[in-house]
Amino acid sequence: MTALQVSNVSKSFPGVKALNDVSMTMSAGSVHALLGENGAGKSTLIKIITGIYAPDSGSVMMNGKPVRFANLRQAAAGGLGVVHQERNLVTRFSVGENIMLDRLGASALSRVDYTAIHSEAEKWLKLLDLEVDPRTIVSRLSVAQMQLVEIGKALSLQSRVLLLDEPTASLTPNESKVLFRILRRLRDDGVAIGFVSHKLEEVFDICDRVTVLRDGVNACDSADLTTLSRADVVQMMIGRAERITKRAPRAQPDVPPYLELTDYASGAGHRDISLSVRPGEIVGLYGLVGAGRSELARAILGLSKQLGGEVKVAGKPVHITSVAEALHHHGIGYVSEDRKQEGLILLHSVLANAGITLWSKLANRMGFLRDSSINSKVAPVLQRLELKTPSVYQTIGNLSGGNQQKVSVAKWIAAGVKLLIIDEPSVGIDIKTKAYLHDLIHELAEQGTAVLLITSDMPEMVDVADRILVMDGYRIKGEVENDRNYDAVSKAIMGFIHNHAAA
Amino acid sequence: MLIAVTLLVFSLTLDGFTSPFSLFTIGRQVGIDTMIGLAMMAVIVTGGLDLSIGAIGVCCAMAFGWLVQILGLPILLAIPFAVVFGASLGFINGFTVVKSGVHSFIITLATMSIFFGVMIFLTKANAYNGLPPEVQAFGKMKFFKTISPLLLISIVMCLFLAVFYKMTTLGRQMLAAGANPRAAELSGIRTGRVIMACHMLTGALAAIAGLMVTARTGASVPSMAGHLGQDWLLPAFLAPVLGGTLLSGGRVSVIGTLLGAGFVNVMTSGLLLMRVGEFWILASLGAMLLVAVLVDRARQQFLKTKGMI
Amino acid sequence: MAVHANTDGRLTRAFDNDWIGPGIVSLAAVIGISLLQPAFLSSFNIFVLVSAISVNMVIALGQLVIIGIGQMNLALGSIGGLVAISFVGLMERFGVPVPLALGLALGIGVLAGMAGGYIIARTAISAFIITLAGLQIFKGINLGITEAQPFYGVPESVKAFGTGSVLGPLPWLVLPMLICSIGMWYLFNRMRIGRHILAMGSNPHAAEMSGIDPKVTIIWAHALSGLLAAVAGVMLVAKLQIGHPAIGDDWLISSFAAPVIGGAVLSGGRVSVAGTFFGVVIIAIITQGLVMFNIDPFVVQIVLGALILWAVAINRLREVRIAKLQARGAGA
Repeated sequence: MTALQVSNVSKSFPGVKALNDVSMTMSAGSVHALLGENGAGKSTLIKIITGIYAPDSGSVMMNGKPVRFANLRQAAAGGLGVVHQERNLVTRFSVGENIMLDRLGASALSRVDYTAIHSEAEKWLKLLDLEVDPRTIVSRLSVAQMQLVEIGKALSLQSRVLLLDEPTASLTPNESKVLFRILRRLRDDGVAIGFVSHKLEEVFDICDRVTVLRDGVNACDSADLTTLSRADVVQMMIGRAERITKRAPRAQPDVPPYLELTDYASGAGHRDISLSVRPGEIVGLYGLVGAGRSELARAILGLSKQLGGEVKVAGKPVHITSVAEALHHHGIGYVSEDRKQEGLILLHSVLANAGITLWSKLANRMGFLRDSSINSKVAPVLQRLELKTPSVYQTIGNLSGGNQQKVSVAKWIAAGVKLLIIDEPSVGIDIKTKAYLHDLIHELAEQGTAVLLITSDMPEMVDVADRILVMDGYRIKGEVENDRNYDAVSKAIMGFIHNHAAA
Repeated sequence: MLIAVTLLVFSLTLDGFTSPFSLFTIGRQVGIDTMIGLAMMAVIVTGGLDLSIGAIGVCCAMAFGWLVQILGLPILLAIPFAVVFGASLGFINGFTVVKSGVHSFIITLATMSIFFGVMIFLTKANAYNGLPPEVQAFGKMKFFKTISPLLLISIVMCLFLAVFYKMTTLGRQMLAAGANPRAAELSGIRTGRVIMACHMLTGALAAIAGLMVTARTGASVPSMAGHLGQDWLLPAFLAPVLGGTLLSGGRVSVIGTLLGAGFVNVMTSGLLLMRVGEFWILASLGAMLLVAVLVDRARQQFLKTKGMI
Repeated sequence: MAVHANTDGRLTRAFDNDWIGPGIVSLAAVIGISLLQPAFLSSFNIFVLVSAISVNMVIALGQLVIIGIGQMNLALGSIGGLVAISFVGLMERFGVPVPLALGLALGIGVLAGMAGGYIIARTAISAFIITLAGLQIFKGINLGITEAQPFYGVPESVKAFGTGSVLGPLPWLVLPMLICSIGMWYLFNRMRIGRHILAMGSNPHAAEMSGIDPKVTIIWAHALSGLLAAVAGVMLVAKLQIGHPAIGDDWLISSFAAPVIGGAVLSGGRVSVAGTFFGVVIIAIITQGLVMFNIDPFVVQIVLGALILWAVAINRLREVRIAKLQARGAGA
């Protein structure tokens, strides 16, 4: 019986078509995986199902009836429960009160009957094998337990469709086992469970159906997982090997590294990280979401404590404690993966954004700095990047995603950084700009900039990087020399990722 | 635009409105209110709030009074001292905000009380009435019979700040840190230092405002800004918000603050001349603030839909 | 995975609440001062002290409910002032009998609070600005009505209530304070609206997902705040024996200081009525103590400000510690 039917849904945002004719069929009594790399459209699809976005075309039906929830509250009332990656509980309240938060009393001034609430909550806790006294304050629970409480809450609302977004992201392997046992029981009970995750072993462990999204379209639609192998699924996620890369492998300059990490350990959880990036070299950092790559970039910039090991820049040991220090003293730049929140100041102009890294350098002794001086340094870079904008005073929030991304890279080029760390450059970017950015990265390397490229887009990685480091679980798992042979390289990389010892 | 219209309407319908004396008084008050507004504007720009502006203003005015009357310091020497004092009080605010990570609202709520309390304690709530006559003369001075030097000082300060935000590194950094602190930090701006500098600027401007009030009244009086300096809060917010400085930070309109202060004072004087009770004016100013924020809110919503905030 | 309701030792549990700290400090302060100055424990002094505590507690509760929802109410004092003069004005100018005047006055407080709450709920503009505007508007109306002159026509019965005592040194004023305190405690811990307010303050997103209507909750919170401000205003009229337009002018700092000392977190969701009570006690003792030792009364302002900073720092450290514990609970 079909519990949730997504039919031919399309959704566009300015400049980018996030979903193109996507379908998915979730049946009662099944655990259905939703897979796809970053930017494939998973979160957009979920937001459409839960009513946060409205589809441009296509429909969503539950139990045969079309639904269009206006917000998550309505979705819950309609039988759709969602458990997100981030916790959504009132930490100061008890478990029982959280589960029954929407049913505390008949009217505003009514007395809360805690005995009744806690005994009702007890039912759901029992169902989930959660041996927690419902009177326990949520803040005392472990994250795994909190997650189960949220599932309990969704169930108590009679959800027959349960969507779990990265449920094991913060769980230990043991806790995941317990969660899966419960999910299986729910499945046997007839609940339709949607499982979004990047951990393929888990997907194969518990799911029976799978829908894979790639670049906003179905790579497969509600396929029977038992007929697919891991390699099949991976190939669907990252694209066929037909993508021919035009670049020949680059000869590597024999110069000392610009950045060198030896046995580096960070406050964010990295251990035994050793890597080096030479001027003119493009080192790729591949990994699935949650591997710790962006966190490593931030740690290099000084945003995490250095707990061990050594960091050397241009041969000298350094101890970087702030981004300002990384940029101004060591010439390290970082293009953030979150362009809108961290890469750019959308409220300000192109000129203000592109020149922000130059202000302290260009100002005269009194601190004065004219727009024209900034422009003289920035305009050539913007021109080189073929930025499309009516003027440099244009508010950057009005530009297309691709052009915004160009500015977020331009500011580092203008600053003349020696090492540029680029984090997921093409998420949400059109194909043309994407290709352009790849050419740009190569050009930068040719001119002697050291580049550290973080991406989970395999074709991008093979197209651009000279050497690929594979990260997983905040450790470096292996290194692959890139001879641009897509099949071989991607296989080697995935080999390193799936090679961790079973929990 | 609104100002011009209002000014026109009032001057046409009321006698005595455009008399040199009334223009002078209004202009002088606009000068003071603009300075107060600039002080708050400086901190709103970086996304914060400063409740202690009034307290700082009074403290610096009293410090000035003490320096001049008790220590006998020449006025021209005492003025920079007072301003630097204001900047240091602002620094205390900024330092505490940055180091503690607590929102500037509560920090300045506390410092407002502390600054005011220390000042009252040290001065025993006595005013400095024996200031040299030049002080009061300055307050009464008129250019062309209508323009007060206080207004001119504010206009000059507006120009200075406009240049500051547009053309100096620190000014640009403040705007960036206010619009998107994360992006600013990741672009190599030391946002902590910027916030501290911003509070120092606010303190200095508040000090100047306090000195202006002293000039107007001819004495340094502890109650010049009300209990704990609360009386300054309304003009401090009204001017910048009416003038277009976004409460969420990152966008500033210096000239708008001047016009905002102008608008408020013209309205107030006009209402007074129309025999509207002085006390009802306070209420309508509050209503004006409401309208101003509603408009600010609408602007923010608009910008949000474009994804810029 | 078994987790029982309490895994801490009894001593840890005993100290893991918001009011023990301030409670101990209060006790120490009382003991300390009375040792130094035995007159502190005189009937007269206790009467004065408890009167002050009673009024200030109600004021603090008025702010506490707004802190609970994660906002701030700058108009608290001006609502109180407006109610105070309205209360006396109704009786003096229109000859309204006391109980009716009381009801109307409290009604004014509720309405004033609701107005602010409604605007905040509908426009989502920060409560700071809305209540700042409210402060001006209500103050303006107050001054407009009174023309800065107090109303003197307070009936004898009201005056007696404000200055008379029950049970030895305890003033009658203690009664409304106790009613409000117990009422608010019950509200926060046992009533749906109170739990909704705290849920919204703690995690507005989770609260809304669970079907809690933010608009209704905000309006309720501000209405309650206005009501409490009104009660405090009336209490002050009884105590001061005039309807003075300046009532409420100095409520701002102490209305925040007491809850913060009592463990409230300004981001919302964490309140303690008992803690607030001891916060009020500490402030009252310090104020009184300063007078007794002939220290300049304005030092109170300094101390209040410092206390706020201190309490905020402690609360923040606590929240940081909790966040760290939670983060450690996550991840392998």
